[in-house]
Amino acid sequence: MPDEDIRAEGAGAGAAGGDAPAGDRVLELSGVRTFYGNIEALKGVSFHIDRQEIIAILGANGAGKTTCLNSIVGLTPPRSGRVVYEGSDIRGRSTDSLVKAGLVMVPEGRRIFPALTVMENLRMGAYLRRDRQGIRDDLDYILSIFPILAARAGQDGGTLSGGEQQMLAISRGLMGRPRMLLLDEPSLGLAPIVIRSIFDTIRKINLEQKTTILLVEQNANLALQVAHRAYIMTTGIITLSGTARELMSDESVKKAYLGG
Amino acid sequence: MTTVQTETAPPPASGSGGPSSGGPGGGVPESPGPDPAGAPEGRGGAAGHLARALAEFRAALLSAAWFSVLALPLVCFRVNAVSGGIDYLWARLPRLAALAFCATLAWRFLLRRLGFSRVRSAVAETAGPPPEGARGPGGSWLTLLDRAPAKRLLLAGAALLLLSVPFWTTPYVVTILITALIYITLGLGLNIVVGVAGLLNLGYAAFFAVGAYTFALLNQNFGMGFWICLPLGALSATLLGLLLGLPILRLSGDYLAIVTLGFAEIIRLVLVNVGFTNGPRGIRNIQPPTLFGADLNGAVKPLLVGHGLVHKDMDLNKVLVYFIILAIVALTVVCVYRLENSRLGRAWLALREDEVACQAMGINRVRTKLAAFALGSTWAGLAGVVFAAQISFINPQSFTFMLSVMVLSIVVLGGMGSIPGVMIGAAVLILLPEYLREYSDYRMLIFGLIMVLMMVFRPQGIIPSTRRVYIYRPEEHGDGGARPSTRNPDALDAGPGGAGQDGQAPAGVPGTAGGPPSPRGAR
Repeated sequence: MPDEDIRAEGAGAGAAGGDAPAGDRVLELSGVRTFYGNIEALKGVSFHIDRQEIIAILGANGAGKTTCLNSIVGLTPPRSGRVVYEGSDIRGRSTDSLVKAGLVMVPEGRRIFPALTVMENLRMGAYLRRDRQGIRDDLDYILSIFPILAARAGQDGGTLSGGEQQMLAISRGLMGRPRMLLLDEPSLGLAPIVIRSIFDTIRKINLEQKTTILLVEQNANLALQVAHRAYIMTTGIITLSGTARELMSDESVKKAYLGG
Repeated sequence: MTTVQTETAPPPASGSGGPSSGGPGGGVPESPGPDPAGAPEGRGGAAGHLARALAEFRAALLSAAWFSVLALPLVCFRVNAVSGGIDYLWARLPRLAALAFCATLAWRFLLRRLGFSRVRSAVAETAGPPPEGARGPGGSWLTLLDRAPAKRLLLAGAALLLLSVPFWTTPYVVTILITALIYITLGLGLNIVVGVAGLLNLGYAAFFAVGAYTFALLNQNFGMGFWICLPLGALSATLLGLLLGLPILRLSGDYLAIVTLGFAEIIRLVLVNVGFTNGPRGIRNIQPPTLFGADLNGAVKPLLVGHGLVHKDMDLNKVLVYFIILAIVALTVVCVYRLENSRLGRAWLALREDEVACQAMGINRVRTKLAAFALGSTWAGLAGVVFAAQISFINPQSFTFMLSVMVLSIVVLGGMGSIPGVMIGAAVLILLPEYLREYSDYRMLIFGLIMVLMMVFRPQGIIPSTRRVYIYRPEEHGDGGARPSTRNPDALDAGPGGAGQDGQAPAGVPGTAGGPPSPRGAR
């Protein structure tokens, strides 16, 4: 298990909103530029994430947040720049090969498999894994975080409510036992109370599973409560960065994203 | 038709038999009427029995009438080839009606004896109302097939029947059945590609042709026998599938369909125009398969005919082909079933639903699709070899677009992704035209009508596909506090109808408890 050592090290993940834990660099983007045809969606994005951090990327619609995630996992390969994951350049590598390396994305809009049951959805998350015992343990763990999914185990994924689907999507991502989890808009279209519990879970996963998390969000308020650090994106470039606490008290951020 | 009657009949029984009961199980429409332990027992057993018998009688009468009307053209009209007119055989009608009547009674009795109606209401009671969207009780006699003893009985009966066919029928029937079985193989193969993996392949005939031509050419030029060519035909079709799949599987949906369509046409044109395939004249005198070099028609046949075991005109080589294709179908069913419920099968299903999510799960999109495409082609190759062996003469005309459409129709009509569905579909689409030869002018018309009606009223096919249901069983005695864990290493691999096999149904898991996996709804 390559991730055993990771679980063992660096226990001091700070409380949410606190200082970022010091650690080695998991992911580093430098000068990433991604195009859709002739349109430049990412105009040289650079940021980094350290081990066991929760990082939020905030921004308005069309700022390039999702493109940023897609560029990391290779769904929209960047035209230039470097994407370094655990020391090696992964730019242009296929999405599925990155899953093998422990980099798992939970795509925007949940994208669960509607005609597969909840249990089958979860098993799909563990597609690349062969360790039956490990899969079972993770399944138990996940169903203890989201007990509702255990109750829905035999149901088709498409029959779940939006919040349950988002829980399933995150759980499915966790079934791959990621070292780094990329979450794309987990709050999309959900009721505030559901969002709350999902964000609590994100923090819990980060603490208990020692998973590094990159979170893309429009809900800046909540994201900043969970994240250690955050980057703010506007039209394809990172315009502001800092710890969550700094950004929360920043006047311009307050004005633009936190409603005053 | 009988089946429809069995479903609709019970309500009148409760209405006339037990007015005092007032419909004991209001939620479950099947439970009141035919249940032996129902309300009539209290008021007067005899009256209740009589009413029930009357209801049964009426239902049987109704289905007999329906059946007679539907089967009328099949049974009572016959084209007279000599005079060119139509003979009307009305005398057959009463016999047919009587037969249908008895069959209905027997069928209903059987259903009762197997405890079918009771089991279903029991499931509904113990499991509570299934949460909306969960797979509730299927609501049709098809769930009967999910019950192990009935299923085993049915399978054994079907196997016995199929195995004995050559010994009590005419050569004509054997020939038709070989054709039907070849189409079943094709259907099951295409089912992997279209039904499970969701890749619309309109060029399936090409792989069939490659299998057939592999055998024909190797036999013609090198004198190679059927048994060597069978795997070689399959192999060449698989290789071709890989070769074609590599460039085109990045496409999806309509584009894929068009490319496969064009590809099939290319293969056919190559077969027509290339020298060594003998062009449109085709290849004739392909050797039939042999059984350990025995001269079946010369040495064995007189023996069998002498004992009255086979029809005197029966070609024993055809019989051998029949048994071979039967074995291939059995093999195909086993393989496809195992594939569908494997990790790869789940990946295919998932890929059909959402490619991006699949990639995010670590599934290699192209490789997985390629596997489906190539594996599907393998069966076409196998079927092709048998086809060439059966008719001993092939030309490109046998492998037109119509064949691809036919196989695709079998899959769609029978039920995408459903093994029994495909088999029924093939039987309907291949055998029916044989019995309706009189109306062959209208065949395509009827065919089109059937397809349209199917898509409107039953888009999931005759027998919709079912999959294994995986059940999560939390452990009763917690080993680590409140944290649930699975009970044993195989807890996740519950077989079909898993909960029925070891009676301990998980109480906290609605929707999965007790009930057999029911047919899945339309997609």
